[in-house]
This record gives sequence, structure tokens and C-alpha cells, in this order.
Amino acid sequence: MNYPFWDIPFIGGGILIGFVAILHTFVSQFAIGGGLFLVLTEIKAYKENNLGIIDYLKIHSRFFILVTLVFGALTGVGIWFTIGLVTPTATSALIHIFVWGWAIEWIFFFIEIAAAMIYYNTWNKVSRKVHLSIGWIYFIAAWMSLFVINGILSFMLTPGEWIQDRSFWSGFFNPTMLPSLVMRSAVSIALAGLYALLTSSNLKDDNLRKLMIKYSAKWLIIPFFILPLGGLWYVSVIPDMSFDIISGGAPAVTLFAVASLFFSFLIFAFAYFLPYRHPERFPVALSVLFLLIGLTVTAVSEWVREAIRKPYIIYDYMYSNNVLKSEKDIVTNNGVLASAKWVNIDIKTETDTMKIGETVFKLQCQSCHTVEGYNGIKILVKGWQESFINEQLQHLNQLKGFMPPFMGSETERKALAKWLYELNKSYKEIGVKE
Amino acid sequence: METQVIIPDIDPISVPAPIWLLKILLLLTFTLHILAMNVAVGGGLIAAVTEFLGKKNNSQNHFELSRSISKMLPPFTAFTITLGVAPLLFLQVLYGNFFYTSTILIAWPWLSIIVIFILAYYGYYLYSFRWEKLEGKRFVVVLISALLLAVIGLIYTQNIVLMLTPEKWKEIYFNNPHGTSLNLSDPTVIPRYLHFMVAALAVAGLVVIMWGIKKIKINESLGKWGIRYGILWFIVPTLLNIIIGLWFLISLPKNFIMLFMGENIYATVYFMIALLAMFVSLILMFVALNSAKPLAKIIIGKVFLLLTIVMMVLMRHELREAYLQPYLNWDKVQVEPQWGVITIFIILLLAGIVTVIWMLKKSFGQKSNVDPVELS
Repeated sequence: MNYPFWDIPFIGGGILIGFVAILHTFVSQFAIGGGLFLVLTEIKAYKENNLGIIDYLKIHSRFFILVTLVFGALTGVGIWFTIGLVTPTATSALIHIFVWGWAIEWIFFFIEIAAAMIYYNTWNKVSRKVHLSIGWIYFIAAWMSLFVINGILSFMLTPGEWIQDRSFWSGFFNPTMLPSLVMRSAVSIALAGLYALLTSSNLKDDNLRKLMIKYSAKWLIIPFFILPLGGLWYVSVIPDMSFDIISGGAPAVTLFAVASLFFSFLIFAFAYFLPYRHPERFPVALSVLFLLIGLTVTAVSEWVREAIRKPYIIYDYMYSNNVLKSEKDIVTNNGVLASAKWVNIDIKTETDTMKIGETVFKLQCQSCHTVEGYNGIKILVKGWQESFINEQLQHLNQLKGFMPPFMGSETERKALAKWLYELNKSYKEIGVKE
Repeated sequence: METQVIIPDIDPISVPAPIWLLKILLLLTFTLHILAMNVAVGGGLIAAVTEFLGKKNNSQNHFELSRSISKMLPPFTAFTITLGVAPLLFLQVLYGNFFYTSTILIAWPWLSIIVIFILAYYGYYLYSFRWEKLEGKRFVVVLISALLLAVIGLIYTQNIVLMLTPEKWKEIYFNNPHGTSLNLSDPTVIPRYLHFMVAALAVAGLVVIMWGIKKIKINESLGKWGIRYGILWFIVPTLLNIIIGLWFLISLPKNFIMLFMGENIYATVYFMIALLAMFVSLILMFVALNSAKPLAKIIIGKVFLLLTIVMMVLMRHELREAYLQPYLNWDKVQVEPQWGVITIFIILLLAGIVTVIWMLKKSFGQKSNVDPVELS
């Protein structure tokens, strides 16, 4: 309420963040695992004295830099742009707490980009040892940037001791930091395999193709054993409320969590039975299908991760609608209109209840709800009487644990109830009038 | 109520570093970002013109140069991004309440930067990787990519100016909360933008000069041509930029013009040094144009140009502080430095610089020492 609210009709800001974040995660985690893939595969080529593998790696590394340096890097900036626009208050808080974490991540980002370009450009131009060293530098820098950003990301769900001591280190080494790091690292390795399947299934030479397809499939199978362990660890340390949300509290989230598990299992099972067992029968089209399933897993998992943080954007500190937990009572007592800066009505003289209701909706609800699109409020309150809406608004956080409590004066709440009620009513009335 | 300016409160969490340190890092990384951007954008535009001239005059010299530039564009674009992330980070911690607000007002144009950048960057890679195969299409590919990057600059300038003028926010937002507004009506935006873009051509001209100096050992006539061609790319835009700079200056509100005319001692000194250094570098380049041994003049000229750029960055900073002075009181900003993390940052930064230098040294230094058939 400190910042103007960016009104995106139909899709809402949350979907926009999700869209950019999913694309970025899908590529940037490949950028990490793919780095390890490049070095270990290069070592394998030297050990087995197999020049074909080196030729493959030259093609794969070109694909790698085109995907990660351009798309990966820019969508990363894209997330940052998007969160600043949709949730400026939370972004500002994160920047204030972790600016030095981000600054450190930036160093690794810089090394990573430089190393990737140098690695690609120095095939056969430097000694094997130097080339491998550059590859290792790339992978370490890339993984370290994950290490740093993961600390900040996981902080949002479990700020841990930071809530009391406000220390950088308490926030960074928070309860879900390690399990989340283990999971993301495992996913990176799996993604390296997924992308490698795409480039290796494209190879012309039959023997080399078979060899590389089978080898790439192994990269998918190993994480299969790490991921469930990481997942269990993660679930064991998330807040109780989050656990409730996954395990039935919000059916959509439960469904997505199950989908995430199901599709992951599908990938690993397929990886074993198709490319691993029968590398000779693995066309490019199938590798594309694998990638698409991988994208689906990324999408549903990231969506679940976002969803279980509700009703907060930074747990126990800031609600989903950008109001600080500590400000809750102040907003309730003074009224939301009086607490918000970007209000276009004069709160002292305004008498139009509908206008007040709409403004309250913008301030309190629109961070998660659109009117008629994603998570659209109109359909959610359809058939509800005004008094029933008013009743619900008084117990939001008890009725739906993943929602923040309504914060505002009685007049504001009643105006909101009226406005919500009229949403479904007005259509009929307009129809009658015309 | 109606005319009141809305300024979001500064974040309740204190700033985790001394303001001066953040400002130094902001200005330092911004300068580096601008230098990389100059080569990426200016270099792309020069490449486009060079492709055009090469085709028109059937000139091998032009093509030799454009091929070399094609190899530079992707890495300098990468550096533009990486070096751009840092100032944007420090900007947000220092001026976040201004920056987030103005960005929200122009949200969609701002977000479109990502898409435009991806297209332009792939265009540069296409130009670089397929230089031979593209042949006649090279001009179009590099021109479109460079122009797309130039569009990003225009969006940036609009936001950076809008964040300094909170008086305009309320009207823009309440007329359009969907984030599709622009800030082109501000009279300072266009000259400010052009001042950056034309300077990019001049700085990229210096890169062409360096290319000529390198080529001189292998092919004297090509090298000499490159140096002359580069010097012209430096001189013409720089002369043009004197006029644009003047336009920018007089487009500013009068009280801000006066800052550079003696009212603010720092701003005035920066301005004087910038002008002086710019004229020195211009004169040196003019002399170098017809000199038999231009190397020393060029190098000194470059040092003076760098000095000009640093002064310009400092002037820009003084201007920003002046714009925000009614709304921002640094004494009221709570500061609690996280010295432990800052120390780690500095150590890692030094280690990172050493690592990158080591990699560059290995990649450029050992080229000829390794037998290309080592693998076979």
C-alpha cells in the first residue's frame, strides 16, 4: 500500500511472476547442472580418448551458451524486474536485508558468464588442463550463484531466527535453505540430462548418438534417488500451515504437488526404459517431449513452492498483500484507505460505497485475485448474499488459512462486501435495464 | 490534497551499508556498464554502417572490420548485462522508493526490455556466428539488433528521469494504473537519451582505432585505414554531442542549470573538467588523424575521454541528488552496516577479478602454444 498497485487485468501479477520465474528456473538450473555435465563429459572423452565426444561437446556447448547466456541471464533479470513491479514492498525488503548477498551472487554471475564464453571459445586453443579448469570455474561459479540465491529464496518461506534477531546470517542460513539447495542441485543435474538428450538425439553418427543418449539418460536417473530424500527433508521443516496446504488444505495446491511428483516419476521411469535401455530408438521428438514434461515439473513445483508461502509473502513478516504483520492492527484501526498512499478518493468526503468497496478490493485483495480472470473474485463470490460476504470477510484467515485476515474498518469491510455482491448482480441489472 | 506529491516511505529495514559505499559502488559499476554498453550499441551501429559502406564501395577493408566487430558484439552485450545488474541493485537499495514507483507507472514498456533484449542479443549471435553465411543480410541483422538495443536505452532514460520527478506520478498513475504509460513528454528525456547514444558511437570509435592499431602489424594499409576510420567515428559524434549536450543542459529546469554554473561547486568543477578533457581528447584525435605516429596521441586522448566519461557520470549523480533533494533526506535514512558480509563481498570481488583475468590470460596468451592437433 506504500506503492502504487500495478493493475494487470485478467492474469494478475502472480501469474506474471510465475511465468517468468518458471522459464528462468528451467534454463538457469540447466545452466548449473549443464556446467557439471560439460566438465565431466570432457573428462570422460579424454579418459576414453574418444574424439567424437569432444565434437559433440563443441556442439552442445554452443547450444549451452546460446540458451543460458542469453535466455537464462535475461530471464533472471526479468524475474527481478517483475517482482519489483508486482511486489515492490517485498522486493524492497529483500534488497534491504540481502543486498550484499545479491552483490556476492553478482560476482559469481560475472565469473560464470565470462567462464562460459571463454570455455566455448577455447576448444583446442588451450591445453586440456586449462580448458577443464575453465569448465570447473564455470560450474563452481554457477553453483555458488545458486547457493546464494537459494538462501534468499528459501528465506521467504522460512525466515527462521531473522524474525527476532534481524541478522543477515540467520536469514540466509534459514531452516529450508539446505534441503532446498539439495533439491535444486539434484534438479539441475536432471535438467543437464534432459537438455543433453536433446542435443545427443540430434547427432548424425549412430554409435556416438547411442553412446551419448545412454550417457545422458544416466544423468536423469541419479537425481531420482536424491530428490525424494531432499523433498522429505524439505517438507519436514516447512511451517505447519504450509504442510496443511500441501496435504489437502487447498485442493489445487495438493493436486499440483501430486502432479509434480507424478511427472518427476514419469521422467525417471521413461529415462530408464527408453533412452537408457534402448538408446538406439530415441528420436529428437521424444527428447522434446521429455523437455516439455521437465518444464511441466518445474512449473508445478515452483507454483507449489509459491503457494505454500501463503498467507505471507515473507513468512511471519509480510502478508501476501504487502502489509507488514506488525502493521496489521494499525491498518485495522485506522482503516485501509487511510493507511494507503495511492488512493484516488478523498476518504473524509467520499460517500459512494461502491467506489470505496472497489478501492478496498484493489488494496487488500488484488495482489492475489483478479476480478474476472485468474483466481477471479467474481466467480468465487457468485451466489453469495451481501451479509454472507460480510460474514466471511470477518473470518477470512480462519475460514481459509492461506488468506490474510481482512484489515480495515467496519465501513470499509461493508463497502467491500457490497461491491463484491454487486459484481454478480450488476450484470443481471444491466441486462434488465437495456 | 490534489496537488500533493505522493512519495512511498523508505523501507523500515535499515540500509545494510554506509550510504557513501553504496554510492561509490553504484557510480563505479554504472561507469563500467556504460562503457560496455557503448561498445555493444555503438559497435553494432558502426558495424551496420560499415556493412553498408563495404557493400556499396565493394571495400574489403570495411568487411575486415565488420567481421571483427561481429566477434566483439556478443561478449560486450554480455558485459553490458552483467555490469548493468550491479548498478541496478545499488540503485534499488539507495533510491528504491523512487525507482519502484516510476517503474510501476511504465511497467509494460519496462518489462518489454527483457523481450527486446533477448531478440537483439540473438540477433548479435546470429550476426557473429553466421557472419560468412549471412552475406547480404548482415547489414539488416546487425542494424535491427543494434536499434533494438538502442530502444532499451530510451526506455531506461524515461524511467531514470521519471523516478526523479515525483510531481508527475500521481497524474500518470490515476489516469492509467495499467503500467502502459511512457515518459516521453519530459523535455529532458530525448536530449538526455541522445547524449548517451551519440557518445556510444564515439566510444565504439575508439574500439575501431584499437583494432586498427592491432592490424597495423599484420597489414599496414588496413591498420592505417582502421585508425583513420575509427578516429572519424570518434570525432564526428563527439562534435555532434557538444550540441546535444547543450540541448540537454538548456532542457533542464533553470535551477538545475545553475548548479553547473557555479551554484554547486562539485557540479561546476566536474563540468569544467569534463569540457576540458573532452576538448583535449578531440584535439589529440584531430592531430592523430594526420600524424605518421599517432599511437601516443591516441592513448592520451583515450585517457582524457575516460576522464570525461567519469566526470559526466558524477555530474549525472549531482543532478539526481538535486532533483530528489526536496524528497530525500539522507540523514533520516537508517544505516546498519553488515560489515562481515561486506568484507566477504570485497574478498570475493578481488578473487573474482583475479579469476577472470587468469582465464582471459590463458585464453589469449596460449593460443599459439598449443598444437591444434593435440587432441587427434
